Amino acid sequence: MSMQAAMPIAMIPGNSIIHRINPLAKLVWVVGYVILAFSTQNIVILYSMALFALLLAPIAGVTKPLLKGALILVPVGSSLLALQIIAPAVERPWTAVDQIGPLVLYGDGVYYGFVLLGRIVASLLMALIMVMTTHPSDLFTSFAKLKVPYTLNFMLAMTLQLIPVFQREVGIIMSAQKSRGMKGTGFSAVLPSFVPVFVGAIERVQQLSISLESRGFGSDGIKTSYRQVRGRASDWVVGIVGAVVLITLSVVAITKGTWSLANEITFSPLFVLITFLIAATLFAGVILAAIAFSFKK
Amino acid sequence: MVESTPTNPTLAIDVRGARYVYPTGNVVALGGVDLQVAHGEIIGIIGQNGSGKTTLTKLFNGLLKPTAGTVIVNGVDTAKHSVQQMAAHVGYVFQNPNHQLFARTVRMELEFGPRNIGVPEDEITERVDEVVEFFGLQEFIEEHPYRVSFPVRKLVGIASIVAMRPPIIIFDEPSTGQDHNTTHIINGLMRRLRERGTTVVCVSHDMPLLADVVERVIVMKSTEVIADASPREVFADQALMARTNLQAPQVTQIALQTVVPLGGPVALTPAELAADIAQRRGKSARRGRTSSVAG
Repeated sequence: MSMQAAMPIAMIPGNSIIHRINPLAKLVWVVGYVILAFSTQNIVILYSMALFALLLAPIAGVTKPLLKGALILVPVGSSLLALQIIAPAVERPWTAVDQIGPLVLYGDGVYYGFVLLGRIVASLLMALIMVMTTHPSDLFTSFAKLKVPYTLNFMLAMTLQLIPVFQREVGIIMSAQKSRGMKGTGFSAVLPSFVPVFVGAIERVQQLSISLESRGFGSDGIKTSYRQVRGRASDWVVGIVGAVVLITLSVVAITKGTWSLANEITFSPLFVLITFLIAATLFAGVILAAIAFSFKK
Repeated sequence: MVESTPTNPTLAIDVRGARYVYPTGNVVALGGVDLQVAHGEIIGIIGQNGSGKTTLTKLFNGLLKPTAGTVIVNGVDTAKHSVQQMAAHVGYVFQNPNHQLFARTVRMELEFGPRNIGVPEDEITERVDEVVEFFGLQEFIEEHPYRVSFPVRKLVGIASIVAMRPPIIIFDEPSTGQDHNTTHIINGLMRRLRERGTTVVCVSHDMPLLADVVERVIVMKSTEVIADASPREVFADQALMARTNLQAPQVTQIALQTVVPLGGPVALTPAELAADIAQRRGKSARRGRTSSVAG
Protein backbone atom coordinates (compact mmCIF):
# COMPACT_ATOMS: atom_id res chain seq x y z
CA MET A 1 0.00 0.00 0.00
CA SER A 2 2.67 2.33 -1.01
CA MET A 3 0.35 5.25 -1.57
CA GLN A 4 -0.82 5.17 2.00
CA ALA A 5 2.43 4.09 3.58
CA ALA A 6 3.67 7.43 4.75
CA MET A 7 5.20 8.50 8.03
CA PRO A 8 2.28 9.28 10.30
CA ILE A 9 3.31 12.73 11.48
CA ALA A 10 0.25 14.75 10.62
CA MET A 11 -3.06 15.69 12.13
CA ILE A 12 -5.44 12.75 12.52
CA PRO A 13 -8.96 14.19 12.24
CA GLY A 14 -11.15 13.46 15.21
CA ASN A 15 -13.42 14.93 17.85
CA SER A 16 -11.90 13.52 21.02
CA ILE A 17 -11.52 15.55 24.19
CA ILE A 18 -7.82 15.96 23.35
CA HIS A 19 -8.70 17.26 19.86
CA ARG A 20 -11.04 19.82 21.41
CA ILE A 21 -8.51 21.25 23.87
CA ASN A 22 -7.24 24.69 22.91
CA PRO A 23 -3.92 24.43 21.00
CA LEU A 24 -2.23 26.83 23.41
CA ALA A 25 -3.13 24.66 26.39
CA LYS A 26 -1.63 21.68 24.55
CA LEU A 27 1.44 23.73 23.70
CA VAL A 28 1.91 24.55 27.38
CA TRP A 29 2.06 20.82 28.07
CA VAL A 30 4.55 20.13 25.26
CA VAL A 31 6.88 22.96 26.27
CA GLY A 32 6.51 22.01 29.93
CA TYR A 33 7.29 18.39 29.10
CA VAL A 34 10.48 19.35 27.28
CA ILE A 35 11.61 21.69 30.09
CA LEU A 36 10.93 19.10 32.80
CA ALA A 37 12.47 16.24 30.80
CA PHE A 38 15.71 18.14 30.43
CA SER A 39 15.67 19.47 34.01
CA THR A 40 15.59 16.13 35.73
CA GLN A 41 17.47 12.85 35.73
CA ASN A 42 14.77 11.14 37.75
CA ILE A 43 13.72 8.10 35.75
CA VAL A 44 10.53 7.67 37.76
CA ILE A 45 9.39 11.13 36.66
CA LEU A 46 10.59 10.67 33.09
CA TYR A 47 8.84 7.35 32.51
CA SER A 48 5.71 8.53 34.34
CA MET A 49 5.62 11.40 31.87
CA ALA A 50 6.02 8.97 28.97
CA LEU A 51 3.29 6.72 30.40
CA PHE A 52 0.94 9.67 30.86
CA ALA A 53 1.50 10.74 27.25
CA LEU A 54 0.90 7.18 26.13
CA LEU A 55 -2.38 7.05 28.08
CA LEU A 56 -3.59 10.11 26.20
CA ALA A 57 -3.20 8.30 22.86
CA PRO A 58 -6.26 6.00 23.15
CA ILE A 59 -8.32 8.91 24.46
CA ALA A 60 -7.36 10.88 21.34
CA GLY A 61 -7.80 7.81 19.10
CA VAL A 62 -4.28 8.08 17.74
CA THR A 63 -2.65 5.01 19.32
CA LYS A 64 -1.77 3.26 16.06
CA PRO A 65 -0.26 6.25 14.21
CA LEU A 66 1.49 7.34 17.40
CA LEU A 67 3.17 3.97 17.82
CA LYS A 68 4.06 3.99 14.13
CA GLY A 69 5.67 7.42 14.47
CA ALA A 70 7.44 6.32 17.66
CA LEU A 71 9.15 3.46 15.77
CA ILE A 72 12.02 5.85 15.17
CA LEU A 73 12.82 5.30 18.88
CA VAL A 74 13.90 1.70 18.21
CA PRO A 75 17.25 2.49 16.52
CA VAL A 76 17.72 5.67 18.58
CA GLY A 77 16.93 4.06 21.93
CA SER A 78 18.80 0.82 21.32
CA SER A 79 21.96 2.58 20.16
CA LEU A 80 21.76 4.98 23.10
CA LEU A 81 21.45 2.22 25.69
CA ALA A 82 24.12 0.00 24.14
CA LEU A 83 26.62 2.86 23.90
CA GLN A 84 25.91 4.10 27.43
CA ILE A 85 26.57 0.62 28.85
CA ILE A 86 29.98 0.32 27.19
CA ALA A 87 30.91 4.02 27.46
CA PRO A 88 28.89 5.82 30.17
CA ALA A 89 28.55 9.59 29.87
CA VAL A 90 29.51 10.08 33.54
CA GLU A 91 32.75 10.77 35.29
CA ARG A 92 35.06 7.86 36.10
CA PRO A 93 35.50 5.62 37.98
CA TRP A 94 32.98 3.30 36.32
CA THR A 95 31.83 0.06 37.86
CA ALA A 96 32.43 -2.90 35.56
CA VAL A 97 29.74 -5.55 36.00
CA ASP A 98 30.41 -7.93 33.13
CA GLN A 99 32.46 -8.46 30.01
CA ILE A 100 31.61 -9.81 26.54
CA GLY A 101 34.86 -10.39 24.66
CA PRO A 102 36.61 -7.02 24.44
CA LEU A 103 33.46 -5.13 25.56
CA VAL A 104 33.33 -4.21 29.26
CA LEU A 105 29.81 -3.49 30.52
CA TYR A 106 29.43 -0.75 33.14
CA GLY A 107 26.46 -0.53 35.50
CA ASP A 108 26.76 3.29 35.71
CA GLY A 109 25.79 3.69 32.09
CA VAL A 110 22.46 1.84 32.37
CA TYR A 111 20.87 4.52 34.51
CA TYR A 112 22.01 7.39 32.29
CA GLY A 113 21.04 5.45 29.18
CA PHE A 114 17.51 5.12 30.55
CA VAL A 115 17.51 8.84 31.50
CA LEU A 116 18.45 9.93 27.99
CA LEU A 117 15.95 7.52 26.46
CA GLY A 118 13.23 8.66 28.88
CA ARG A 119 13.77 12.31 27.92
CA ILE A 120 13.41 11.53 24.23
CA VAL A 121 10.44 9.19 24.68
CA ALA A 122 8.48 11.56 26.93
CA SER A 123 9.10 14.67 24.82
CA LEU A 124 8.49 12.90 21.51
CA LEU A 125 5.26 11.21 22.58
CA MET A 126 3.73 14.42 23.94
CA ALA A 127 4.82 16.42 20.87
CA LEU A 128 3.40 13.78 18.51
CA ILE A 129 0.08 13.73 20.37
CA MET A 130 -0.14 17.50 20.02
CA VAL A 131 0.66 17.42 16.28
CA MET A 132 -1.80 14.57 15.69
CA THR A 133 -4.67 16.27 17.48
CA THR A 134 -4.22 19.91 16.44
CA HIS A 135 -5.21 21.47 13.14
CA PRO A 136 -2.31 23.68 11.95
CA SER A 137 -4.74 26.52 11.27
CA ASP A 138 -5.97 26.38 14.87
CA LEU A 139 -2.41 26.68 16.06
CA PHE A 140 -1.96 29.62 13.67
CA THR A 141 -5.05 31.36 15.05
CA SER A 142 -3.97 30.75 18.64
CA PHE A 143 -0.51 32.16 18.01
CA ALA A 144 -2.05 35.16 16.30
CA LYS A 145 -4.00 35.86 19.51
CA LEU A 146 -0.70 35.83 21.36
CA LYS A 147 0.55 38.52 18.93
CA VAL A 148 3.22 36.24 17.48
CA PRO A 149 4.57 38.04 14.34
CA TYR A 150 2.37 37.12 11.38
CA THR A 151 5.19 35.94 9.10
CA LEU A 152 6.72 33.71 11.76
CA ASN A 153 3.33 32.35 12.69
CA PHE A 154 2.48 31.67 9.06
CA MET A 155 5.79 29.85 8.54
CA LEU A 156 5.10 27.58 11.53
CA ALA A 157 1.58 26.74 10.41
CA MET A 158 2.64 26.23 6.79
CA THR A 159 5.44 23.87 7.81
CA LEU A 160 2.97 21.68 9.68
CA GLN A 161 0.53 21.75 6.77
CA LEU A 162 3.20 20.76 4.26
CA ILE A 163 4.22 17.62 6.18
CA PRO A 164 1.27 15.47 4.97
CA VAL A 165 1.69 16.92 1.46
CA PHE A 166 5.29 15.77 1.35
CA GLN A 167 4.37 12.43 2.88
CA ARG A 168 1.91 11.88 0.04
CA GLU A 169 4.54 13.01 -2.46
CA VAL A 170 7.02 10.47 -1.06
CA GLY A 171 4.40 7.74 -1.52
CA ILE A 172 3.84 8.66 -5.18
CA ILE A 173 7.58 8.90 -5.88
CA MET A 174 8.25 5.52 -4.27
CA SER A 175 5.46 4.06 -6.44
CA ALA A 176 6.96 5.61 -9.57
CA GLN A 177 10.41 4.20 -8.81
CA LYS A 178 9.10 0.76 -7.85
CA SER A 179 7.22 0.72 -11.16
CA ARG A 180 10.63 0.93 -12.81
CA GLY A 181 11.81 -2.12 -10.90
CA MET A 182 13.55 -0.32 -8.02
CA LYS A 183 13.49 -1.81 -4.55
CA GLY A 184 11.15 0.35 -2.54
CA THR A 185 13.06 0.16 0.72
CA GLY A 186 16.55 0.46 2.12
CA PHE A 187 19.49 2.63 1.17
CA SER A 188 19.20 1.72 -2.51
CA ALA A 189 15.90 3.62 -2.56
CA VAL A 190 17.32 6.78 -1.04
CA LEU A 191 18.79 8.50 -4.09
CA PRO A 192 16.04 7.71 -6.64
CA SER A 193 13.44 8.87 -4.12
CA PHE A 194 15.30 11.65 -2.35
CA VAL A 195 16.11 13.71 -5.47
CA PRO A 196 12.50 13.98 -6.75
CA VAL A 197 11.23 14.69 -3.22
CA PHE A 198 13.85 17.39 -2.70
CA VAL A 199 13.31 19.00 -6.10
CA GLY A 200 9.54 18.77 -5.68
CA ALA A 201 9.74 20.39 -2.24
CA ILE A 202 11.79 23.31 -3.56
CA GLU A 203 9.47 23.79 -6.54
CA ARG A 204 6.40 23.60 -4.35
CA VAL A 205 7.73 26.10 -1.85
CA GLN A 206 8.78 28.44 -4.65
CA GLN A 207 5.34 28.24 -6.27
CA LEU A 208 3.73 28.76 -2.89
CA SER A 209 5.76 31.88 -2.19
CA ILE A 210 4.94 33.33 -5.63
CA SER A 211 1.29 32.50 -5.10
CA LEU A 212 1.30 34.11 -1.65
CA GLU A 213 3.02 37.27 -2.84
CA SER A 214 0.65 37.58 -5.78
CA ARG A 215 -2.22 37.52 -3.28
CA GLY A 216 -0.77 40.32 -1.19
CA PHE A 217 1.06 38.33 1.48
CA GLY A 218 3.12 40.68 3.63
CA SER A 219 0.87 43.66 3.10
CA ASP A 220 -0.07 45.84 6.05
CA GLY A 221 -3.30 45.55 7.93
CA ILE A 222 -4.95 43.30 10.46
CA LYS A 223 -4.91 39.65 9.48
CA THR A 224 -7.98 37.60 10.23
CA SER A 225 -8.46 33.86 10.25
CA TYR A 226 -11.31 31.80 8.84
CA ARG A 227 -11.06 29.33 11.71
CA GLN A 228 -11.91 30.66 15.12
CA VAL A 229 -10.44 29.13 18.27
CA ARG A 230 -12.03 30.00 21.57
CA GLY A 231 -10.51 29.42 24.97
CA ARG A 232 -13.09 27.78 27.23
CA ALA A 233 -12.81 27.51 31.00
CA SER A 234 -11.74 23.89 30.68
CA ASP A 235 -8.89 24.92 28.35
CA TRP A 236 -7.67 27.42 30.92
CA VAL A 237 -7.80 24.70 33.59
CA VAL A 238 -5.81 22.27 31.40
CA GLY A 239 -3.24 24.94 30.57
CA ILE A 240 -2.86 26.23 34.12
CA VAL A 241 -2.69 22.75 35.66
CA GLY A 242 -0.06 21.76 33.08
CA ALA A 243 1.98 24.90 33.70
CA VAL A 244 1.80 24.63 37.49
CA VAL A 245 2.58 20.91 37.70
CA LEU A 246 5.37 20.93 35.15
CA ILE A 247 7.02 24.15 36.32
CA THR A 248 6.83 23.03 39.97
CA LEU A 249 8.43 19.69 39.13
CA SER A 250 11.09 21.44 37.04
CA VAL A 251 11.94 23.84 39.86
CA VAL A 252 12.08 21.01 42.39
CA ALA A 253 14.27 18.98 40.04
CA ILE A 254 16.66 21.89 39.52
CA THR A 255 16.85 22.71 43.22
CA LYS A 256 17.53 19.06 43.97
CA GLY A 257 20.35 19.03 41.42
CA THR A 258 18.47 17.10 38.69
CA TRP A 259 16.84 14.84 41.28
CA SER A 260 18.81 11.87 40.05
CA LEU A 261 18.15 8.43 41.54
CA ALA A 262 21.41 7.02 40.22
CA ASN A 263 22.74 6.39 43.70
CA GLU A 264 19.47 4.91 44.97
CA ILE A 265 18.94 2.46 42.13
CA THR A 266 21.42 -0.30 41.45
CA PHE A 267 21.14 -2.67 38.54
CA SER A 268 22.16 -6.29 38.88
CA PRO A 269 24.90 -7.54 36.52
CA LEU A 270 22.35 -9.86 34.90
CA PHE A 271 19.99 -6.93 34.20
CA VAL A 272 22.86 -4.92 32.68
CA LEU A 273 23.88 -7.89 30.52
CA ILE A 274 20.33 -8.57 29.31
CA THR A 275 19.70 -4.86 28.64
CA PHE A 276 22.92 -4.61 26.64
CA LEU A 277 22.18 -7.77 24.66
CA ILE A 278 18.65 -6.65 23.78
CA ALA A 279 19.77 -3.10 22.86
CA ALA A 280 22.79 -4.26 20.86
CA THR A 281 20.76 -6.93 19.05
CA LEU A 282 18.02 -4.44 18.13
CA PHE A 283 20.55 -1.87 16.94
CA ALA A 284 22.58 -4.44 14.99
CA GLY A 285 19.34 -5.79 13.53
CA VAL A 286 18.33 -2.36 12.25
CA ILE A 287 21.80 -1.78 10.75
CA LEU A 288 21.96 -5.24 9.17
CA ALA A 289 18.43 -4.92 7.76
CA ALA A 290 19.37 -1.59 6.17
CA ILE A 291 22.57 -3.06 4.68
CA ALA A 292 20.72 -6.17 3.45
CA PHE A 293 18.10 -4.04 1.70
CA SER A 294 20.77 -1.91 0.06
CA PHE A 295 22.47 -4.94 -1.45
CA LYS A 296 19.29 -6.85 -2.26
CA LYS A 297 18.46 -6.55 -5.95
CA MET B 1 11.38 -15.31 -10.79
CA VAL B 2 7.81 -14.41 -11.66
CA GLU B 3 5.55 -17.43 -12.00
CA SER B 4 2.88 -17.41 -14.68
CA THR B 5 -0.69 -18.15 -13.69
CA PRO B 6 -2.74 -20.35 -16.05
CA THR B 7 -5.07 -17.99 -17.88
CA ASN B 8 -6.34 -17.11 -21.31
CA PRO B 9 -3.08 -16.57 -23.24
CA THR B 10 -4.72 -14.15 -25.67
CA LEU B 11 -5.45 -11.73 -22.85
CA ALA B 12 -2.92 -9.13 -21.77
CA ILE B 13 -5.13 -7.97 -18.91
CA ASP B 14 -7.81 -10.09 -17.29
CA VAL B 15 -9.70 -8.41 -14.47
CA ARG B 16 -12.50 -10.38 -12.80
CA GLY B 17 -14.67 -8.84 -10.12
CA ALA B 18 -11.89 -6.58 -8.90
CA ARG B 19 -12.72 -4.39 -5.93
CA TYR B 20 -10.48 -2.05 -4.04
CA VAL B 21 -11.34 -0.63 -0.66
CA TYR B 22 -8.86 1.71 1.02
CA PRO B 23 -7.22 0.34 4.19
CA THR B 24 -9.33 2.69 6.31
CA GLY B 25 -12.24 0.51 5.18
CA ASN B 26 -14.71 3.27 4.49
CA VAL B 27 -13.79 4.34 0.95
CA VAL B 28 -14.58 2.03 -1.97
CA ALA B 29 -12.27 3.13 -4.76
CA LEU B 30 -13.25 0.36 -7.16
CA GLY B 31 -16.42 -1.64 -7.03
CA GLY B 32 -16.41 -4.99 -8.83
CA VAL B 33 -14.81 -4.34 -12.22
CA ASP B 34 -14.58 -6.90 -15.03
CA LEU B 35 -12.29 -6.07 -17.92
CA GLN B 36 -10.52 -8.12 -20.56
CA VAL B 37 -7.89 -6.58 -22.83
CA ALA B 38 -6.29 -8.62 -25.61
CA HIS B 39 -2.58 -8.48 -26.42
CA GLY B 40 -1.81 -5.58 -28.75
CA GLU B 41 -5.01 -3.69 -28.00
CA ILE B 42 -4.87 0.02 -27.38
CA ILE B 43 -7.55 1.21 -25.01
CA GLY B 44 -8.52 4.47 -23.37
CA ILE B 45 -10.08 4.84 -19.94
CA ILE B 46 -12.22 7.91 -19.36
CA GLY B 47 -14.38 9.17 -16.53
CA GLN B 48 -14.66 12.00 -14.11
CA ASN B 49 -12.11 12.55 -11.34
CA GLY B 50 -12.73 10.03 -8.60
CA SER B 51 -14.44 7.53 -10.89
CA GLY B 52 -11.73 4.91 -10.25
CA LYS B 53 -9.61 5.15 -13.41
CA THR B 54 -6.24 5.50 -11.70
CA THR B 55 -7.13 2.95 -9.03
CA LEU B 56 -7.95 0.44 -11.78
CA THR B 57 -4.67 1.01 -13.60
CA LYS B 58 -2.71 0.79 -10.36
CA LEU B 59 -4.08 -2.72 -9.97
CA PHE B 60 -2.46 -3.63 -13.29
CA ASN B 61 1.11 -3.31 -12.03
CA GLY B 62 0.48 -4.27 -8.42
CA LEU B 63 0.84 -0.80 -6.92
CA LEU B 64 -2.51 -1.62 -5.37
CA LYS B 65 -3.67 -5.18 -4.68
CA PRO B 66 -7.36 -5.96 -5.21
CA THR B 67 -9.26 -6.43 -1.97
CA ALA B 68 -11.55 -8.82 -3.85
CA GLY B 69 -11.48 -10.45 -7.29
CA THR B 70 -8.45 -11.20 -9.45
CA VAL B 71 -6.17 -9.20 -11.72
CA ILE B 72 -4.08 -11.30 -14.11
CA VAL B 73 -1.68 -9.29 -16.24
CA ASN B 74 0.42 -10.95 -18.93
CA GLY B 75 -0.38 -14.27 -17.27
CA VAL B 76 0.78 -13.09 -13.84
CA ASP B 77 -1.43 -12.68 -10.79
CA THR B 78 -0.62 -9.18 -9.55
CA ALA B 79 -1.79 -9.97 -6.02
CA LYS B 80 1.01 -12.52 -5.62
CA HIS B 81 3.85 -10.43 -7.00
CA SER B 82 5.61 -7.24 -6.03
CA VAL B 83 5.56 -4.07 -8.10
CA GLN B 84 9.24 -4.65 -8.88
CA GLN B 85 8.45 -8.11 -10.24
CA MET B 86 5.59 -6.70 -12.30
CA ALA B 87 7.85 -3.99 -13.76
CA ALA B 88 9.07 -6.33 -16.48
CA HIS B 89 5.46 -6.94 -17.55
CA VAL B 90 3.85 -3.55 -17.10
CA GLY B 91 5.32 -0.10 -17.61
CA TYR B 92 3.57 2.74 -15.81
CA VAL B 93 4.09 6.29 -17.03
CA PHE B 94 3.18 8.64 -14.18
CA GLN B 95 1.46 11.93 -14.90
CA ASN B 96 4.21 14.07 -13.39
CA PRO B 97 7.72 13.23 -14.68
CA ASN B 98 9.23 15.01 -11.67
CA HIS B 99 8.08 12.06 -9.57
CA GLN B 100 10.55 9.72 -11.20
CA LEU B 101 13.56 11.66 -12.52
CA PHE B 102 16.63 11.61 -10.28
CA ALA B 103 19.74 10.64 -12.26
CA ARG B 104 22.58 13.01 -13.19
CA THR B 105 21.95 12.73 -16.92
CA VAL B 106 19.10 11.87 -19.23
CA ARG B 107 21.09 8.83 -20.43
CA MET B 108 21.44 7.47 -16.88
CA GLU B 109 17.75 8.07 -16.32
CA LEU B 110 16.89 6.04 -19.40
CA GLU B 111 19.23 3.22 -18.33
CA PHE B 112 17.76 2.95 -14.82
CA GLY B 113 14.63 0.91 -15.61
CA PRO B 114 16.19 -1.62 -18.04
CA ARG B 115 19.06 -2.22 -15.60
CA ASN B 116 16.64 -2.84 -12.73
CA ILE B 117 14.88 -5.59 -14.67
CA GLY B 118 18.16 -7.27 -15.61
CA VAL B 119 18.62 -6.27 -19.25
CA PRO B 120 22.24 -6.95 -20.41
CA GLU B 121 24.44 -3.85 -20.69
CA ASP B 122 24.91 -3.97 -24.47
CA GLU B 123 21.16 -4.27 -24.96
CA ILE B 124 20.56 -1.36 -22.59
CA THR B 125 22.71 0.82 -24.85
CA GLU B 126 20.77 -0.31 -27.90
CA ARG B 127 17.42 0.38 -26.22
CA VAL B 128 18.51 3.79 -25.00
CA ASP B 129 19.77 4.77 -28.45
CA GLU B 130 16.46 3.71 -29.95
CA VAL B 131 14.28 5.76 -27.59
CA VAL B 132 16.62 8.74 -27.83
CA GLU B 133 16.16 8.73 -31.59
CA PHE B 134 12.42 8.24 -31.46
CA PHE B 135 11.81 10.99 -28.90
CA GLY B 136 14.38 13.34 -30.44
CA LEU B 137 16.40 13.54 -27.23
CA GLN B 138 19.86 13.56 -28.86
CA GLU B 139 20.74 17.09 -27.81
CA PHE B 140 19.65 16.48 -24.19
CA ILE B 141 21.24 13.08 -23.60
CA GLU B 142 24.06 14.33 -21.35
CA GLU B 143 21.94 17.06 -19.72
CA HIS B 144 20.59 16.84 -16.19
CA PRO B 145 16.88 15.86 -16.44
CA TYR B 146 15.91 18.89 -14.35
CA ARG B 147 17.75 21.29 -16.66
CA VAL B 148 15.55 20.50 -19.66
CA SER B 149 12.14 22.04 -20.27
CA PHE B 150 9.03 20.41 -18.78
CA PRO B 151 7.75 18.96 -22.10
CA VAL B 152 11.18 17.39 -22.72
CA ARG B 153 11.21 16.11 -19.15
CA LYS B 154 7.84 14.51 -19.84
CA LEU B 155 9.30 12.79 -22.90
CA VAL B 156 12.29 11.60 -20.83
CA GLY B 157 9.86 10.12 -18.29
CA ILE B 158 7.94 8.28 -21.02
CA ALA B 159 11.14 7.19 -22.79
CA SER B 160 12.50 5.75 -19.55
CA ILE B 161 9.52 3.39 -19.43
CA VAL B 162 9.51 2.60 -23.17
CA ALA B 163 13.20 1.62 -22.89
CA MET B 164 12.14 -1.18 -20.54
CA ARG B 165 10.05 -2.60 -23.44
CA PRO B 166 7.25 -3.96 -21.28
CA PRO B 167 4.54 -5.85 -23.17
CA ILE B 168 1.95 -3.58 -21.54
CA ILE B 169 2.28 0.17 -21.01
CA ILE B 170 -0.04 2.36 -18.96
CA PHE B 171 -0.12 6.10 -19.57
CA ASP B 172 -1.64 8.25 -16.84
CA GLU B 173 -2.73 11.57 -18.38
CA PRO B 174 0.14 11.63 -20.91
CA SER B 175 -0.85 14.89 -22.61
CA THR B 176 -1.91 16.98 -19.60
CA GLY B 177 -0.08 20.30 -19.63
CA GLN B 178 1.86 19.42 -22.77
CA ASP B 179 2.37 21.54 -25.86
CA HIS B 180 1.16 20.47 -29.28
CA ASN B 181 4.52 19.06 -30.31
CA THR B 182 4.80 16.80 -27.26
CA THR B 183 1.21 15.63 -27.65
CA HIS B 184 1.98 14.86 -31.30
CA ILE B 185 5.01 12.77 -30.28
CA ILE B 186 2.92 10.91 -27.68
CA ASN B 187 0.28 10.26 -30.33
CA GLY B 188 2.97 8.86 -32.67
CA LEU B 189 4.42 6.77 -29.86
CA MET B 190 1.10 5.08 -29.18
CA ARG B 191 0.72 4.21 -32.87
CA ARG B 192 4.24 2.79 -32.93
CA LEU B 193 3.64 0.75 -29.79
CA ARG B 194 0.50 -0.66 -31.40
CA GLU B 195 2.48 -1.65 -34.51
CA ARG B 196 4.93 -3.48 -32.25
CA GLY B 197 2.12 -5.39 -30.57
CA THR B 198 2.45 -3.61 -27.21
CA THR B 199 -0.76 -3.37 -25.24
CA VAL B 200 -1.46 0.26 -24.37
CA VAL B 201 -3.79 1.56 -21.66
CA CYS B 202 -4.24 5.31 -21.68
CA VAL B 203 -6.05 7.15 -18.88
CA SER B 204 -6.87 10.59 -20.13
CA HIS B 205 -9.26 13.53 -20.24
CA ASP B 206 -7.83 14.43 -23.65
CA MET B 207 -10.72 13.19 -25.81
CA PRO B 208 -9.21 14.25 -29.17
CA LEU B 209 -6.08 12.21 -28.38
CA LEU B 210 -8.13 9.15 -27.47
CA ALA B 211 -10.47 9.57 -30.45
CA ASP B 212 -7.47 9.67 -32.74
CA VAL B 213 -5.49 6.76 -31.32
CA VAL B 214 -7.40 4.19 -29.28
CA GLU B 215 -9.50 1.32 -30.58
CA ARG B 216 -11.65 0.93 -27.52
CA VAL B 217 -12.89 3.23 -24.79
CA ILE B 218 -13.75 2.17 -21.24
CA VAL B 219 -16.06 4.62 -19.48
CA MET B 220 -16.02 4.68 -15.68
CA LYS B 221 -18.45 6.29 -13.30
CA SER B 222 -18.66 5.98 -9.53
CA THR B 223 -15.97 3.26 -9.32
CA GLU B 224 -17.58 1.05 -11.97
CA VAL B 225 -17.22 0.43 -15.70
CA ILE B 226 -20.45 1.60 -17.31
CA ALA B 227 -19.52 1.41 -21.00
CA ASP B 228 -16.99 -0.44 -23.12
CA ALA B 229 -17.12 0.22 -26.86
CA SER B 230 -15.33 1.77 -29.81
CA PRO B 231 -14.58 5.51 -29.53
CA ARG B 232 -17.09 6.16 -32.32
CA GLU B 233 -19.87 4.45 -30.40
CA VAL B 234 -18.94 6.00 -27.06
CA PHE B 235 -18.57 9.56 -28.32
CA ALA B 236 -21.76 9.32 -30.39
CA ASP B 237 -23.75 8.32 -27.31
CA GLN B 238 -24.84 11.74 -26.12
CA ALA B 239 -26.88 10.32 -23.25
CA LEU B 240 -23.78 8.50 -21.97
CA MET B 241 -21.68 11.64 -22.30
CA ALA B 242 -24.26 13.68 -20.39
CA ARG B 243 -24.60 11.00 -17.70
CA THR B 244 -20.86 10.96 -17.06
CA ASN B 245 -20.37 14.71 -17.42
CA LEU B 246 -17.90 14.06 -20.24
CA GLN B 247 -17.65 15.80 -23.56
CA ALA B 248 -16.94 14.17 -26.89
CA PRO B 249 -14.20 15.80 -29.00
CA GLN B 250 -15.43 19.09 -30.47
CA VAL B 251 -15.16 17.74 -33.99
CA THR B 252 -17.43 14.83 -33.04
CA GLN B 253 -19.93 17.22 -31.47
CA ILE B 254 -19.98 19.30 -34.68
CA ALA B 255 -20.43 16.17 -36.76
CA LEU B 256 -23.30 15.01 -34.56
CA GLN B 257 -25.10 18.31 -35.13
CA THR B 258 -24.35 18.67 -38.84
CA VAL B 259 -23.42 15.71 -41.00
CA VAL B 260 -24.73 12.83 -38.85
CA PRO B 261 -28.42 13.85 -39.19
CA LEU B 262 -27.81 13.87 -42.97
CA GLY B 263 -26.52 10.31 -42.87
CA GLY B 264 -22.84 11.23 -42.49
CA PRO B 265 -20.31 9.48 -40.26
CA VAL B 266 -19.57 10.20 -36.59
CA ALA B 267 -16.30 11.97 -37.27
CA LEU B 268 -13.56 11.50 -34.67
CA THR B 269 -10.93 13.70 -36.28
CA PRO B 270 -11.01 16.96 -38.25
CA ALA B 271 -9.69 15.00 -41.25
CA GLU B 272 -12.72 12.67 -41.20
CA LEU B 273 -15.17 15.57 -40.99
CA ALA B 274 -13.34 17.52 -43.69
CA ALA B 275 -13.38 14.47 -45.97
CA ASP B 276 -17.14 14.05 -45.50
CA ILE B 277 -17.81 17.75 -46.13
CA ALA B 278 -15.61 17.69 -49.23
CA GLN B 279 -17.44 14.63 -50.50
CA ARG B 280 -20.83 16.33 -49.99
CA ARG B 281 -19.66 19.51 -51.69
CA GLY B 282 -18.40 17.42 -54.61
CA LYS B 283 -21.75 15.66 -54.91
CA SER B 284 -23.58 18.97 -54.64
CA ALA B 285 -21.37 20.54 -57.32
CA ARG B 286 -21.94 17.55 -59.63
CA ARG B 287 -25.71 17.81 -59.06
CA GLY B 288 -25.50 21.57 -59.85
CA ARG B 289 -23.62 20.91 -63.10
CA THR B 290 -26.09 18.16 -64.04
CA SER B 291 -29.11 20.43 -63.44
CA SER B 292 -27.56 23.36 -65.36
CA VAL B 293 -26.78 21.05 -68.30
CA ALA B 294 -30.37 19.78 -68.16
CA GLY B 295 -31.65 23.41 -67.95
